[in-house]
Amino acid sequence: MSQAYTSGYEFTKGSGYALPQYPFVPPPELQSGQTGETDIVIVGGGISGLTLACALAHQGVRAVLLDEDNTVGVKGASSRGICYTQKSLEIFERLGIYQRIATKGVQWSVGRTFAGHDEVYAFDLRQQGGFHLSSQPPFMNIQQFYIEGFLVERIMTLDSVELRWQNRVIGLTQDEQSATLQVQTPQGTYALRARHVIDATGSHTPFRNWVGASVTKKRGDDRWCIADVRFTKRPPVERHTWIEAPFNEGRAVWQHLMADEVWRIDYQMAPNADPADVSREDVVRERLTRQFGADTDVEIVWVGPYAYRSECIDRMRHGRVFFMGDSAKVMSPFGARGGNSGIADADNLAWKLAAVQRGWAPESLLDSYHEERHQAATENVLVTNRTARFLRAPEGMERVIRDAAISLARQYPFARQLVNTGRMAVANAYTRSSVCDDGSGQSVQNVCFEWAPGAAGNVNELLSWAEGHLLLLCFGPLDRRSRARVTALSSGAPLRCVQVLGAGDRPQVREHVLDAEGHLRSACRVFDHRWALVRPDAYVAATGDAFDASLVHALAKALGASLIVGEGA
Amino acid sequence: MKTALNFQDADGFYEQLLDAHIGLTHEQSQLLNARLILLLANQVGDAAVLARCVEAAKEVPPVQ
Repeated sequence: MSQAYTSGYEFTKGSGYALPQYPFVPPPELQSGQTGETDIVIVGGGISGLTLACALAHQGVRAVLLDEDNTVGVKGASSRGICYTQKSLEIFERLGIYQRIATKGVQWSVGRTFAGHDEVYAFDLRQQGGFHLSSQPPFMNIQQFYIEGFLVERIMTLDSVELRWQNRVIGLTQDEQSATLQVQTPQGTYALRARHVIDATGSHTPFRNWVGASVTKKRGDDRWCIADVRFTKRPPVERHTWIEAPFNEGRAVWQHLMADEVWRIDYQMAPNADPADVSREDVVRERLTRQFGADTDVEIVWVGPYAYRSECIDRMRHGRVFFMGDSAKVMSPFGARGGNSGIADADNLAWKLAAVQRGWAPESLLDSYHEERHQAATENVLVTNRTARFLRAPEGMERVIRDAAISLARQYPFARQLVNTGRMAVANAYTRSSVCDDGSGQSVQNVCFEWAPGAAGNVNELLSWAEGHLLLLCFGPLDRRSRARVTALSSGAPLRCVQVLGAGDRPQVREHVLDAEGHLRSACRVFDHRWALVRPDAYVAATGDAFDASLVHALAKALGASLIVGEGA
Repeated sequence: MKTALNFQDADGFYEQLLDAHIGLTHEQSQLLNARLILLLANQVGDAAVLARCVEAAKEVPPVQ
C-alpha cells in the first residue's frame, strides 16, 4: 500500500461509479510506420489536459491528445477534485460546458469552522467581495470526472482536437525545433513529432525525468483518509470544517457535498498512520458512526487514504515541453487550489499557443506561460503549506500558538483570520509577467453589461466575439483622432475594439456596449484610465490613458513582442 | 520598529505581565504569552514592523 502515499487516490472500497469508456482507434502512424507530424500534442486526459484540448478546439486549433487510459477518472477511482471556483466555472462557460456542470453540480457559499463542539466562525461567500457580479456562482462542487466527461464530449463535437485513448507515452527526445514522443498502444508503438508538447500526465509524470527538470519539494507526515458516502440523514449544504473534531480524536475533519448527493468526508489521521488500516471498511464505518450517530445509514461510495505533499517544478517550460496541472506542481487540497490551478494553467497556455500558431504572436509569448503560472503555482503551494502547518500543529510551541489563536477566535473577530482551515482558490494575479503592465495582470470577472438597451451581455460573450484576438475596451467618449488610430490599429493587429459607454455617453463607433452601472469598468479595474487591453483568458494586460504609441507598445508587449520605443536599444 | 521608549508606564506594564502569570502552571503561562503576543500583534498590524520585531526578538545578545 506504499503507493497510497501520493496525491492520487486508490480505489479500495465501495461500488464506485460506472465511468464512460472511449474506444481505441489505431492511429495512422501504426499503419504507415512513419513518424507522425503535428503542431501540438497534449499528453494526459485529466482536467488540465482536457481543458487545454477543449480551449484549443474551441478556437479551431488542431492538436492531438494522448491518454494512457480509456476513460476519465483514475483507473476506476471515482473522484479526485470536487470544488470549482468562479474563475474555473467562467472558463467552462466559455468552453460551452458550464450548463451541464451547473445542472449536475451543487452550489454552496456558506462555510463553517468548528473547534471541538463549537463553531469558531462562519462565512457566506455571496456576501464577500464581488462574487455576485459574475454570471457564475462563487463555487460549485461536482466530482472531477463529470467535468472531464463533459469536456471529452465537447471536444468531440468541435472536431479539431484528436483524442487518442490507450496511447501511452514511453519516451521523449527533443531538439530546438521539435519534440518526438514514443507512443505505446495495444497494437504497437509509433513515434509522433510535435512543435509543442504539453505534459498534463499528473503527479507521477515521467516527463520531469526525461527533461531533467528540477523540483522544489516538501514531504509532510500528515495522513488523511477520504470517505465519499451517501446518507439517509442529510447534513446541511454547507462546507463544514473541524480543527479539533471530538469524533475524530481531536483531529481535523472536512465535510462537503458533491453531485448525486454524495458527501466527501475527509478525516485527518494520526501522523504516520497505516493507510491500509485507516481505510478498512469496518474502521471507516466506525469513524462515520462516531460523527453522524448510529441511526444514520451510510452507503460508502469510495474510500481513499493519502498523504499531503508539496512539489513545484522550477521551470514550467523545458524547450518544447510545457508542464501543467499536477505535472508542474502538487499541493495539499486545502482551498481547492490543485484542480483549479490546472484549469487556469490550461486557459493561460491555450490562447498563447493559438496566437503563435496563427502567426499573431512570436514564439516568445510562450515563455510568459512559465512567468505567470509559476508565480501562481508558488503562491498556491505557499498558501496550502501554511494551512497544512496550522492543521498539523505538533505538540509544543506550534500547538500552544494554535490554541491561543483558536481561543481568541472564540472571543474576538480579528483572531478568526488566524484560524486557517484553507484559503479558497482565487484567480491568481500576474504581477511579475513580462507581457503584463505594472498594475495589470488581474482577472476580469464575467460581469454583465448591455449590447443595446435591454439586450444583456457579459464578458464571455465579448471574448467570444473577439475570437481569440486581444480586446481593447475604450471607456467613455472618443475624439476623432483616437477613433482613427484605434481603427487603424485593429485592422493591422490581432485586436478587436469596443467602445464602452457609461451612463449618458453617446456611441461614436459601431462596436459599442452599454455599461451604465460600471460593472465592466470596475471588473477591469479601470477607474481613471481610458482603455483596457483584455486577453482571451480574461486577464487585463494593460490599461492606459492615451490612444498613441503607448497603446501600440502595450499591444506588442501583451503578445510577447516588446517594441523598444524610445529606449535607444 | 520603535527602539526608543514608547511605553506610557513601563514599570506598570512589567508588573501587570508578572502578575498575570501568578498561580499559572507552565502550560497556562505559555498559553497566556501566546494569546498576548497575538493580541499585541493585531494592535501593531503593520507587516514590516511585525517582521522586524520577530527578527529583533530572535537576536538575543551574547551574555557578557
